Amino acid sequence: MLEMDIQRDLVPQEFLAVILAGFGNELSPLTSDHGDEPCLKALLPVANTPLIDYPLSWLEQSGIKDVLLICPAIHRPALSHHIHSHPNSLLHIDIQSYEETPDSAVGTCTLLRHFAGRISRDFVLLPCDFIPPPSLSLISILNKFRTDTVSDGLIATTCWFTASKTDKTVIPDEWGHIAPPVSIVWDKPSTTLLYVDTPDDLDRNSEEVELRMSMLSRYPRSSLSSNQQDSHVYVCKRSVLDVLQEKHHFDSFREEFLPWLCKVQYQRAKREKYEHILSSSTNTSQSQALRHSTLSSKSKAQQAPHVHKSKSTATSAPQSPIPSDPNIDPHPSLRVGLHMHRNGIAARVNNIHSFLEMNRHFLTSASYSLPTDPTQRALIDQKAQISSDTIVGESTQVDERTSIKKSVIGKHCTIGKMVKIVGSVLLDHCVVADGAKLDGCILGKNTVVGAKAELVRCITQPGYEVDPGENVKNEKLEISDWTAGAVGDSDSDSEDE
Amino acid sequence: MAPKAASGKEKLIDEEDEVLQAVILADSFDKRFRPLTTRTPRCLLPVCNASLLDWTFESLALAGVQEIFVICRSHAGQVKKAISESKWSRPGSGIKIVPIMTAKETFSAGDAMRDVYTRGLVTSDFVLVMGDLVSNIRIDEVVRVHKERRKTNKDAIMTMVVKESGVAHRTRPQGDSAVFVLDAETSECLHYEPVSAYPRTSMTRIPREVLENHPEIEIRNDLIDCSIDVCSVEVPSLFQDNFDYEDLRRDFLHGVLTSDLLMKNIHCYVAKEGYAARVKDTKSYDSVSKDILSRWTFPLVPDDNHPGGHVYQHSRGNKYIASDNSVSLARTCKVGNNTLIGASTKIHENAQISGSVIGRDCVIGAGCIIEGSYIFEGTVIGPQCVVRRSIIGAGVIIKEKTRIEKGCLVGDDVVVGPLAMLDSFERLSKKRGEDDSDDDEDEDEEDGEEGEDGEDDDEDEDGDDEEDEDEDEDDEDEEDEDEDGEDSELEELEANPVKTISVLGKDSNAVVWPRGPPPQDEDEDGITAYKNQLIRRLGNDGSDLELQSEDSDSSNEESSDDSSDYDSDTEFQISGEGSGSSPLTTPSLDAFMPSGQMQESEFRIEVAQSLERAFAEGHSVDNAAVELKTLRMASNVPLSRVREAVVSAIVEDIKIVEGAMPQRKEISRVVGRWGELINKIGGVDPVETISALQMHCASSERFPLFGQILAELYQTDVVEEDDIRAWHKTPEAKGAGLVGGPTAENVKRCWAIGSKMIEQFDEQESGSESGEEEEGDKAEEGDKQGESEEESDSESGSGSGSGSGSASGSGSGSGDSEGDSEEEQESEKE
Repeated sequence: MLEMDIQRDLVPQEFLAVILAGFGNELSPLTSDHGDEPCLKALLPVANTPLIDYPLSWLEQSGIKDVLLICPAIHRPALSHHIHSHPNSLLHIDIQSYEETPDSAVGTCTLLRHFAGRISRDFVLLPCDFIPPPSLSLISILNKFRTDTVSDGLIATTCWFTASKTDKTVIPDEWGHIAPPVSIVWDKPSTTLLYVDTPDDLDRNSEEVELRMSMLSRYPRSSLSSNQQDSHVYVCKRSVLDVLQEKHHFDSFREEFLPWLCKVQYQRAKREKYEHILSSSTNTSQSQALRHSTLSSKSKAQQAPHVHKSKSTATSAPQSPIPSDPNIDPHPSLRVGLHMHRNGIAARVNNIHSFLEMNRHFLTSASYSLPTDPTQRALIDQKAQISSDTIVGESTQVDERTSIKKSVIGKHCTIGKMVKIVGSVLLDHCVVADGAKLDGCILGKNTVVGAKAELVRCITQPGYEVDPGENVKNEKLEISDWTAGAVGDSDSDSEDE
Repeated sequence: MAPKAASGKEKLIDEEDEVLQAVILADSFDKRFRPLTTRTPRCLLPVCNASLLDWTFESLALAGVQEIFVICRSHAGQVKKAISESKWSRPGSGIKIVPIMTAKETFSAGDAMRDVYTRGLVTSDFVLVMGDLVSNIRIDEVVRVHKERRKTNKDAIMTMVVKESGVAHRTRPQGDSAVFVLDAETSECLHYEPVSAYPRTSMTRIPREVLENHPEIEIRNDLIDCSIDVCSVEVPSLFQDNFDYEDLRRDFLHGVLTSDLLMKNIHCYVAKEGYAARVKDTKSYDSVSKDILSRWTFPLVPDDNHPGGHVYQHSRGNKYIASDNSVSLARTCKVGNNTLIGASTKIHENAQISGSVIGRDCVIGAGCIIEGSYIFEGTVIGPQCVVRRSIIGAGVIIKEKTRIEKGCLVGDDVVVGPLAMLDSFERLSKKRGEDDSDDDEDEDEEDGEEGEDGEDDDEDEDGDDEEDEDEDEDDEDEEDEDEDGEDSELEELEANPVKTISVLGKDSNAVVWPRGPPPQDEDEDGITAYKNQLIRRLGNDGSDLELQSEDSDSSNEESSDDSSDYDSDTEFQISGEGSGSSPLTTPSLDAFMPSGQMQESEFRIEVAQSLERAFAEGHSVDNAAVELKTLRMASNVPLSRVREAVVSAIVEDIKIVEGAMPQRKEISRVVGRWGELINKIGGVDPVETISALQMHCASSERFPLFGQILAELYQTDVVEEDDIRAWHKTPEAKGAGLVGGPTAENVKRCWAIGSKMIEQFDEQESGSESGEEEEGDKAEEGDKQGESEEESDSESGSGSGSGSGSASGSGSGSGDSEGDSEEEQESEKE
């Protein structure tokens, strides 16, 4: 708390946080529409906490106050309702929406270009679905950015974490594919991100990773890590947006713009072209004026190539005398830094696997105890067996002789008698009738499971109804026709209010 | 725990009993030091007044090697003599050195390794080094690590010693470095990418499959490959099994890493301390000498452990002067830093020497300036001479007021001057015999050239090309210098004096070596490419050649990368290419193009001959196909050329006979017999077949047969109806791109014939049974045979081409069919 206060006082409004909340198509059917009402990815609960709350509280801890939340237009009412009903006192959240549909989702770069006018400072770009581990604080990333920008003109800092090894046997293929880890090349001593292997690169050459010698001669001892995941947390200079404005064809920040941005520092032509944009500092009017000065930028561009050569020699270890240049590079490095996080489980909940995985991860640290509040307590039958590695949301009713193990049960659920739930995730307002069995399932909200139905490793769309006695395995249960279940839905909605 | 340790100790004791063996490949298998190496092998060239081989022995002795096999080929006698005279051969040296003479046919390191295998020299893990190594790395430590690894991993067959340095380290050869891709934990070498300066390697390509098993990988572009390999006994046998391995790195290492069958691992030992470098070229000769003088190789330094057994006095500024008081230094001479002066050498008044090594028994005249040069023993340099960054062989006499510019190599016993001027990078050697009769002639000629040739190196090279050709072919035939070869080479040189702007002086007995690239340079790969070699010369500071190539390449690199960006940096691309790459690339392209064309025409002739034989002798189609494939592989031509050649050969085989029926029979005989060959040459592309047929017929006297041949090909299922349609749609079939002339006319007519055939197909599909001519030029022919043919035609047509029915409806057929098709359409409408 102390640190936060100091920051607010000394460096007011240093960063703006930009959170991008998308549709979460990879999370379908959990994010499929429930009737006419969209199910927001940002509000999808993980361990009964809506996803958006994770990055928000992370931001809060870091002392950043201003948040620009960009979401699809149809999500706006629900999202603003959520944010205002759970006042995060320290954050000023500005919700902006953008017309888009799940089928024609707009790329992150396009969004940033569109809202560039609202971003006037260095910014932190976050996804709505990143769940940081407690061992990773945003402050450490911000500090890295702060020191490196001042010391050698870094333009952005990224955060990567080691991809967790997913056990393929647990999760059926029907749920969708697992996002493959990304290969990155980085320089250890300076923690510089040098190369990101993109799907485009994979298409171009599926056999080999192609690395430029110009990069390898500047960074002769680079590391290639092939099991990394991008947290999509980027701390960027404002000037990065100026470059983005010029690169109209980039669509995805992560897959296109960032890999490109890494190359600016060591590819001469790119550097010459964009150096003057990137190296200008943003907040002062003087730098604004300098940016328009053709004189200063030109002279810089002309000097740049010579400086590179001397620098490449200077970085080598002076084991034996080398023709080194004593001049320190007066030009900004324009590099992209990286923060490599190796301990603690982090994940982006952008597919079903990581959704389930993160839920289970939170269960390992959960210790269930009966609610203390008497009204809540009354809902749980005394003969119900709920193991300690379980999370049960408030106002959920559990009937007698029901056993629940290693599961997350949402809020306002109704669980009947003799129900067995193992290793499952039930979102809010689910109804499980007597004698049903659930094993390794994910039930979207308002799912109704009929009596004595048995589901093994199934995932349901919100509002899905499983017929009594039905026996399903390894399925993705989606609703083809909404008219049938419309009545039940409106009931539950009214209950909700 | 305890018993384990005990057993480990026992093993260690066993290992200590084992003799550590080393194999020195004392032959360089290249010619970079010529003409210095025409009379002495490279390994006996003096570095800081001790032969390279002695430095290598010293390095190995430091590592505790007990038995050394020296594999020598060229000038083997000299090597043997040098070994027997060296201090290591004295009793009590503790090292057994065995010179191994290998056959003259040993052309590469691979051959030498095979020789090691067949002789059964090594019995256990051994150290493999080159004969030009200077090192103070503790190789015994590497051997220990290697043996330790072998205990758990029997597939770890080799450990390469690489030295950590910087990218632009002076002993890191610019033309011949490499990127090592290592596993971060085990230092297993996963990928090896040789890097050449010309053509510049712009990409390192790491196979993705490597990533699967190795999540953390280090990409090292800062390592010096010391060519010290700790090998297991399997290594020579692997060379034996793979007879095509030549280079230790580019072939053997690459082969082992990429092999799916061998499943062997090669590890790297990254030496962080110590010094190791190879004298691979004149540039590294320079840098290694400098490193020795500046004591990076400690304890191997001139004043201590000098491998030649000389004794030097070390004084401030790294000056080494032979300490037996035999050196006579004039009072006013200046000896600069990093200089070594051998015994009995005389330096006269006002001579300035800096950064140089002077051998024994040398005389440096008054007022000389010697900078960064290496002067071997017994050389006399007259007064007022200037020698910069050059290597001067032994027994050379440089007469007064001679200037020798950077990068010159002057062979043993050469006399130059007085008043000679040597251009940069000149190479001189002594003429055979001692008669200097044609000296004056040479000189005159050279003086004459001076004006014309200009100063530019490149131009100079181009001008020389023709004259050098003979000599260079010679060069290529014999891989290394030996006495006879050298003589014949010199003879050639003397017969065809090389144009040069250098002035040799009137007393000179020297011949100038050509500096042009060898003509067949395109065949060689990056490392050995001529331009690459240029970079590796002493004194080459990259001012001319290297910068150019780097500039052009880097701008290309940018543009190619930016190709995905729509606003790509075109302006850089254009300017870069305009200024940089053109002078380098154009000559090579020019040289390449004619040879490519020649190959193709040669190939055509060969195919025609091969098929002629096949037709005449009645080979089977399969045999003919195999022969064609072999030809194609041998001359490396695209498949389409083969197809064209086959089609034209078949067409030409059809005899032109009088009368429609006999002609038709002849066609069906030839096509029936050989038609299927077209699809057996290694790929099936009927559309191309038809185009080839069209193009050939259009320019052949068999043009009138086009329609019939096409029909026959169709009959024999070599082409299908769909293919004819596809061909018909291509713009080339209509004669697009051809300008005027009878050929273009014929091409168009062929297309018209094709149109008619397609019309027929359409009619057949729409069910009409109208008997009609298929070929335009046969329209006047007897109809009855035509009809019977057509019927069979239509049957096969509907059978094979039923899928393309939708293409019908072209409606306006020609001639007889018009009425029928109209009827047909009407009936449909009803």
